[in-house]
Order: sequence, then C-alpha cells, then structure tokens
Amino acid sequence: MKLSFSWLKEHAPLTKTPQQVADDLVRLGHEVEGIELPRAAVKGVRVGQIISIKAHPDADKLKLLQIDIAEPEPLSIVCGASNMGEGDKIPVATVGTCLPNGLRIKKGKIRGQASFGMCCSEAELALAEDADGLLILPVDAPVGAEVGEYLELEEAILDLDITPNRGDCMSIRGIARDLAADYGLPLIEPADELVGADTTVDPPKVRVSAHSDNPLYMACRIEGITVTDSPAWLQQRLIAAGQRPVNGVVDVLNYTMLDLGQPMHAFDADTLQGDLHVRSAESGETLLALDGRDVTLNSGDLVIADDTNVLALAGIMGSEATGVTNTTTSIILESAAFRAALISTTRRTHALVSESSMRFERGVDAAMIVVAMDQAVQMIVDLFGGKSSQMTVIGDQAALINDKQITVNIKRIETRLGIHIPETADAVLARMGFDIQREGGDLAIRVPSHRHDVSIAEDISEEYARVIGFDAIPAELPALTVIKARKIDASISDAVALGFVQVINYAFIAESEQRLFVAHDGDDLRLENPISEAMSVMRRSLWPSLLNTAKYNMNRQQAGMALVEQGRIYQGPVDSHQESNMIAWLMAGEYQTDSWYEKSRKADFFDLKGAVESWLDKRGLTARFIADDDVQGLQSGQTAKIVVGKSTVGHIGKVDGDIAGSFDLQADVFVASINLDALHAGKKAKFQPIPEFPSIERDLVFLFDKTISSNDILQAVRKAVGQQLIDARIFDLYEGKGVPESKRSLGIRFSLQDAKRTLVQEDSDQAMQAIIDAIAKKFGAELRG
Amino acid sequence: MSELEALKSELQGLQVKALASIKEVENLLGLGILRVYYLGKKGKLTSVLKGVGKLPPQDRPVIGQYVNATKTALSEALDSAESLLAAKEKQQRIEAERIDTSLSGRTAKRGVLHPIQQGLNEMTAIFAQMGFDIAEGPEVEDEFHNFDALNIPQEHPARAMHDTFFFEAPKGQQAKLLRTHTSPVQIRTMKNCIEAGGEPPLAVVAPGRVYRCDYDVTHSPMFHQIEVFKVDKDVSLAHLKGVLQYFLSAYFEKDLPIRLRPHYFPFTEPSAEVDVGCVFCNHKGCRICKGSGWIEVLGSGMIHPNVLKSVAIDSDIYSGFAFGLGVERLVMLKHGIPDLRLFFENDVRFLRRMGA
Ligand SMILES: [Zn+2]
Repeated sequence: MKLSFSWLKEHAPLTKTPQQVADDLVRLGHEVEGIELPRAAVKGVRVGQIISIKAHPDADKLKLLQIDIAEPEPLSIVCGASNMGEGDKIPVATVGTCLPNGLRIKKGKIRGQASFGMCCSEAELALAEDADGLLILPVDAPVGAEVGEYLELEEAILDLDITPNRGDCMSIRGIARDLAADYGLPLIEPADELVGADTTVDPPKVRVSAHSDNPLYMACRIEGITVTDSPAWLQQRLIAAGQRPVNGVVDVLNYTMLDLGQPMHAFDADTLQGDLHVRSAESGETLLALDGRDVTLNSGDLVIADDTNVLALAGIMGSEATGVTNTTTSIILESAAFRAALISTTRRTHALVSESSMRFERGVDAAMIVVAMDQAVQMIVDLFGGKSSQMTVIGDQAALINDKQITVNIKRIETRLGIHIPETADAVLARMGFDIQREGGDLAIRVPSHRHDVSIAEDISEEYARVIGFDAIPAELPALTVIKARKIDASISDAVALGFVQVINYAFIAESEQRLFVAHDGDDLRLENPISEAMSVMRRSLWPSLLNTAKYNMNRQQAGMALVEQGRIYQGPVDSHQESNMIAWLMAGEYQTDSWYEKSRKADFFDLKGAVESWLDKRGLTARFIADDDVQGLQSGQTAKIVVGKSTVGHIGKVDGDIAGSFDLQADVFVASINLDALHAGKKAKFQPIPEFPSIERDLVFLFDKTISSNDILQAVRKAVGQQLIDARIFDLYEGKGVPESKRSLGIRFSLQDAKRTLVQEDSDQAMQAIIDAIAKKFGAELRG
Repeated sequence: MSELEALKSELQGLQVKALASIKEVENLLGLGILRVYYLGKKGKLTSVLKGVGKLPPQDRPVIGQYVNATKTALSEALDSAESLLAAKEKQQRIEAERIDTSLSGRTAKRGVLHPIQQGLNEMTAIFAQMGFDIAEGPEVEDEFHNFDALNIPQEHPARAMHDTFFFEAPKGQQAKLLRTHTSPVQIRTMKNCIEAGGEPPLAVVAPGRVYRCDYDVTHSPMFHQIEVFKVDKDVSLAHLKGVLQYFLSAYFEKDLPIRLRPHYFPFTEPSAEVDVGCVFCNHKGCRICKGSGWIEVLGSGMIHPNVLKSVAIDSDIYSGFAFGLGVERLVMLKHGIPDLRLFFENDVRFLRRMGA
C-alpha cells in the first residue's frame, strides 16, 4: 500500500521525518519496502520579492528583475514571464537547485545580461501539469523562506506491505492510529456530520435477505449531479497511492476507501430497474464485471441485484452496465459490512481481486461504515452538486461494534515473552483503542472493533511485544533438550568422496522423460498446475534429470561427467502415494584425460560399477551384480540388477544409445541407482585378530566359454577350496588371437591362509587340484598352458 | 744396502704408488679393488710382511712399526677416498633421479557436495549441537498438515499467498499438494509424539525440499527449508532470540547483530521477521542491504495455540517457538552467490568452485 506522508499528517500531527516514521512503522510490524520523495527537488527554491522590473535591452520579451531573497545582495534574474509586478512574491530557484523536471540552475548570461537564478511557475515546481506565468505567492509569504516548507510541499510516499491480519491498517487512518498511539499523539477525528438530507429525494429501497453475510447495508441516493473529473489534488493523491483516476464519483469513493479503509460502491440510479436486493446468487446467474469479464455465479455468492439483473458481486466488483459514468446524473451509494470469509471464498472461486475485496476479506472497521458514507456524500455534493436523500440503513451498526473481551494472566505473557511488562505499555495499547484493566495478576482487556486480529491471550502478548519493542527482549539460550543420538546420513558424502559431483534437480520432470525409464501404468503423480509440461510429473527415476544435467554440461565443453544425485522418487496413486529416497549416478565421456603419464580413455561400465561397489563397501554391504536384460531404457548385455542379500536394491547399466542421443550425448552413458530405503544397515566392523601365519598366493588360467560369468566361476572356486580361501579374483582376461572365437581365457588368482598354522606346498597343491576338478566338472573348462 | 733398508725402501715405494693410485681412482668399485690389492689377506702389504721373517730379530720391531705406519696411512687414504667417492656417487644418483616436480600430479578423482547440501549439512549440524533432533516428512502432503493444522483455514488470505502446486486427483478424493514449507513436519512430529503417548519437550530440526508455483529470477519452484522448533514448559520469545543469535553467528562464522521485527504468520503469535546484520558490509550499510545494514533472513515466532491444539498439546502448560530457514538464501548470503538459478542449473564449473 502506498502511503502519502502529507495525507497521513491530516490524521495525526506528526513531527518526525518520513524516514523516522518509516523506521517506527517497521518496529511496529509494518514493513516499509521503499520511500519515494517526489518533491525532494524543490529544495533550494526560496520565496523572493520583486524589487524592480526593467526591460531587457536586447530582447523584447525578456525582463530584468531585481529580487530580494533576504540575502545581503538582491539577485539579478532574467525572466521571460509577464504576469508579475513589482512587490510580488514569487518562487526563486537559486543557483545550484535542481528542479523536479531535471533542470539544474546555473549562473548564466541571457542575451548579454547576467542571471543568478530562475523564477518558477507551478509546472516547474511540479505542482501542476502546466502553468501560465509565474506562481504568485500570497503576500504574507516570508521572504527568503524555502518555498517547499512554506507551502508544506514536503511529501514522501511510503510503500507499505501490510500483513494480511491487519485489515485495519489498509487505510491512511489505520496507519495514523498505530503511529499516533505509539507517539502519544492525538488522532485527528474526521468530521462526522450528517449532510443535510433533502426530503424530496427518495431514499433507496433495499431488501437484505442474507443477513448473516451482510449484517449492515447503508444506501444513499444523490440526484442532480454533474459528474466531471475530480480536482487535481484528489487525482494526485490517487495517483500517488497507485490508483488510476476514473471519474469524479468513483474517485471520491476510492479516496474515501484509502482514507478511512471502508470500500464503497456507486450505482448509476437511472440504469436500475426496481429496488436493491442483497441476496444469495442463483447458480448460473451472470455478471458482466467492471473489468470486462463475464462471471457466471454460483449459489452462495452474495450479490446486489435489482428486479432483473445482478448489479454487483458484493464487496468485490460491480457490473459494467450500472457503473457511474460522466453522463450519470443520479446515483445510489453503498457502504456496507460483508462477511470476510465469504468475500475471500467468492473472490478466489472467481479469481477476481479488487481493492475492495482485499479490504473486506481482511476485515474492515464497522465503526467507519457510517463515517465513510457521510464523508463521501459530503464530498460528492460539494464537488459535483446534487441533492442527497436520507440514509437507508438495514442492520444494526451498534451490534457490529460489540467489542471482544479477553482476560489474560500477566505472568503468562511475561514468561512467554521473557520480559517484564511495564504499566506504561498499557497506555500505548489504550491509545490504540484497547481498554485495559489490571486486576491483580490478570488483565481484563476490551478489544476495539477494528482489531479483527486480536482474540486470544497470545494476540495480546504480541501487542505488548510490539509496543515495548522486540529489541527490548533479551536473547537467552534455552536449556538443552536431551535427545536420542542420531547418525547423519552420509550417502551423498560417500559418493562425493569417490569422485562424483553432486547435483540437485527439480523433483518434477516432463512426462515424456518419465516414459524413457518407466512404462505408463497410470501411477505418475501429475501436477494440476505445473509451471510447464517439462515440469509436470513427479519423477519416478532420477536418471532423466541426470541426463539433462549431463547434456547441459557436455554442451559447455565438459569432456567427462561423473554425477551423483540424491532425492526422492514419487509413485501414485495420489491417495496412497509412496516416496522413496534414492541415490543415482551417471558417468559419461572421458574418464581419464590425456596426460603426460597416461593416455585418455572413456568411462565404461566397470568404472561406475567399481564406484558403486566402493560406496556399498563403505556401508558394510556387498552386492551381487546380476545381468538383467529387461531394464527399460538400458542396453541389454551391459545392464545388471544390484542385489544385496535377497533383495534387488537398484540397477546399473549403459543408457540406450537412442535415449542418450536424444539428450545430445554422443559418448556412452552409464547410470546406476539404488533405493536407499531398501538398504538395510550393513555389518558393523567387528574386531578380528590379524592372522599370525603367512598366506600363499597362486594363479590358475583356464579357457572358458564366453557365456560363463566370472561371478559363477569365483563362486565355484570358493566352494571348492572352503575355509582356507581368503580371496579369489580374476587377474587376467584375454580374448583374441590364440583363443577360439567362443572362448575367453581367464586368470584366477587366489590366496590361502589358515588361522592356526603355516600352510605348506601340499596345502596349495591340494587347493589347486580341487579348483581344477571343480571347474572342469562344472564348466567343462580346461587349464590353459 | 741391508735387508732392513731394502725392505724400508720397498715399503716406501709401495706407499707412494698406492697413494697415487688411490688419488686417481674414480669409483667405489675401483677403490675396493685397490683396498684388496694393498691391504687384503693376499695383498701387497702382507707379502712385504712375509719378508720380515728374514730380518734379524732386533730389526723386526723397527720394520713392524714401518709396516703398521704404512698400513695406517693407506687405510686412512682409502677411507677418506671412500667417503668422498660415496658422496660423489650419491650425488650422481640424485642428479640422475631429478624430476620436474612442476609436472601435474596424477589426479585423484575428487567430487564435490552441492553448495545447498553443504549448507544443509552445516546448518543441521549447528542445531544438532544445540540438542535438536532431526526429522523428515513427506513432500506430497495433504491440506490438513500443510495448512489447516497450521492455523491457515481454507478462506485465509495467507493460503492464497502460498502459490501451491496441487495434484490431479479423481473427483471426491482428498486434495494432495506439494508442501509449500517444512512446517508440516512440525505438525507430524508433534502429533506422532502425542499419539505415541509421549509429551514435550520436543526440539526438532527438519530439513527438506519445498515447492511453490512461482518461477522467475528470484523464485525457484523447488527450494530447501529447515524447520526448527522447540516445545517445552516456559519456552519464551527470548529463547527464540537466543537460538537465532547463536545459529546465525555460528553459520556466518562471525558475530552479527540480529533484529526481530513484528510480522504476521498464521502459525505463530507473536510472529517476527528476523534480520541479520548485513554480512557484506558488517552492518555498516551497503548496496546489497540498501544502506540499512540489515538483511532479512527468516520468519519466526511463538507457536500459535491453535497449532498446538491441532496436535493435542495443551497451550496452557506448554509453549514453543518455531522458525523456517530458507537454505538457498543463507547459502547465497554466506558465499556471495548472486543468482538463485545457479543452484539448479548444475553447471559443474559452478559446483566445483562453490562446492566442498
Ligand atoms: Zn550491507
């Protein structure tokens, strides 16, 4: 909300500067987003009195003025205006001043005559759009004074962000009330005198059949007006407040709303057919609203209607057809109370928003309904003529102003704020309209009608904190609460330690990307209002996001990628959805770049598998990687499921070439993912004595069919040797020359050790024979050379 | 010439020749050969000694002294030559092994945590030190936990300000949404505690992802928050201030003033916006803090009695504070990162520079 400082001063006799007031507003809980000083430039313009006027020797239209500005020497100024005479007082911009239009005043020579300033018009002081001649100041203007101060031109526009609980502060008066209470200043009461009603004008006839939604409805008819544009000062105030002037009547109502916080509405009386009726809409009724939209109403919406048409959605927006225009001669004004929650629901249902609805849904001050009506009628009659009727009033204003009572224990407030509440704070609250009685340890408080946000003890506590100042509250550390020790999840840190760069992507992706790795089964969680189609379904795999990240980076000259992401995946249906915590890796492009010690090489399956194995090992887990040709989106023959114990916890493999290509990725791309929720805690490291006796290492090389997996071979080796085997691995792999097409040569290195004795030649011979026999029997493979 | 004289002169000749050879020898191998040649069991000096037997007994001690003196002289010469040559050869070896230490090392693969993760870890750790337990909750939430239980009823204006993502659902089903803040975890944690027969004190930190339907230069539709709350008997606004002061100083690693400004949140009463002394200018006033010396960092307050009531905690006995940290904002402030969007572009050059 834009708050005019000069307007604010009409409600409270403020003496502080705009900046000081802004700081105090912040302390009171009203955020100030900025301060504009529209007329700051007038500084340096002073009241001057013309001593003499002479003709310019070389220019017919110019005059030479001698001007007194209460300095030792008068100023000589060359001036082109003609509406002034000797002795007149005029605004003089002195040398160094920068006028609102950006003109900087310098010493100068005009047609050979020296000039030390400039005499100003209203336009040059930004007091009017255009002007004819100089601004002639009143005769009592003090010579030498700053014109800005003399004319009280000092203006500042404070841009306030009013919190939604403070509907009472959505007006100049509301803000003035908070400030005046804080400063101990009186609030200047608005003139609340009924305009003399003209009995020849019929008061509007109004029926209210939705009394709980519309507890008070006031209407007044004004006949015989001539709607013109509103006066400049009024237009300026509206513009400064961020509103567009429309026509005289509408402007007056907007002005009153800004001033007092009460939204009002005006109907062109000649467009109405019959009486006004405040009622619930029937489903399907329509309203062509002022903003040009055709609104189809629901039953339950509160409307103002005449005998045939809906005229307005109560408290939100009127119809285009019945609005006041420049040709209107007769109007009906409305000032009413509408139920806040109803306004909120209706305007959200129809996606309408107006200055009026913003105030009604936050709660307006019932005490202002009549005051605002009186002020608006008075202004309209004064400005545009006409005769006003007596007020039609449906409902009881006094009942609305029935103030709330709260009783709170003062100790409770003090304990929960951590501060003593002095009685001086009561006085500030009293100035805000609260009535406070201290009774022993209790406070009996009557809440004023405009404070819709105060209803419980904690609200009172906040009021005290606000007026005492949050700065006065000490900072204290509470006693430590003893909790169960909890281990921080190191999943991502461990992956990073293995050389991966962690990325964080949005949890929603394009449906087309979802389909790359997850078949359509109706279980996507789909957003109703996504930012875009590319961010419309909750991801069920982290791989599309990783591919996009790889694409983004490889398009920026990154030759190799090693990425890891931790995040949730989400699976429908909506009413019983599941979220699982996942970790996923991606490797692509150069694993090793060319260097002085090594040639470059591309990442492959085993680079990623090794990382995943190390990561699992860190958590005390060992996995089996079992070839799996049925993982959607991954290439057959280079994909495996990751099995820990008996459960499949994830997958690893090469991304299908076409899919990688669709992300502009030319290199082979490898991905893996593991469901962290499916991983049970691994074995904790347990102490074992370091073996006392030496181990023996032996190698055996066999020729195997290519189809036999190394996993099965090592399994057979372990089974054949038994307890003494402490390690067995493939140390050599050869295919090609000298080896038949369908075969490969695998070298197996194994180590034996016994906890109780030193092993001898016989032991290793026995083990080797057992392996040779087992391999021959199980795989038909023979020992090689 | 007597036998003695002849022997003496032979010894002298031997010594002169030997010393000359030692002087000329160039390596330890050659020196070893010389040592054996002159001083070995079958060496020259031994063979000279054999002639001593031919001398008259009275001359033997004399020549014995001569032999010993020669032996000592040769030994010393050999020893000193040996240490010289050893040093020289070591030096040669060192020279031969000289490398260009400025060549790049063989790179160990190094990864980095995302700056947001790093921030989450740092922040969570500070609260863990202060005795706060860590909790998590679902990101796909219902309206009860995200709004109603937090004292944001259906028609409340604050609800519209949340820019909520909703899910498509069959008609008649309860609406589901993406949580707009981590505060639902506050509700779930308190509710679980009470339903399991427990009671406060509760001190919890709940980090997680949150979502708002807002996407521009300064808004990301997904971001991270940390919800922090404590419920106990006599928890006060002063405690809130103390915890905030401690946390912000610890996170920014400097003593910065904090300021609480009255504000409004439906789920707290009183509520306060929290400003921290500008980290860029140390509270002096600069372009970033618009000259105020303050930077707004989070929203906080005393948990609203309606919120406690919604989880069956008696607000006459217990009170609590709560606040929500915007992780991105704090990380941006700490590291001077100018643009929110950088976090989700995942440019590895940015991540490697900013991550740890
Ligand atoms: Zn600063």
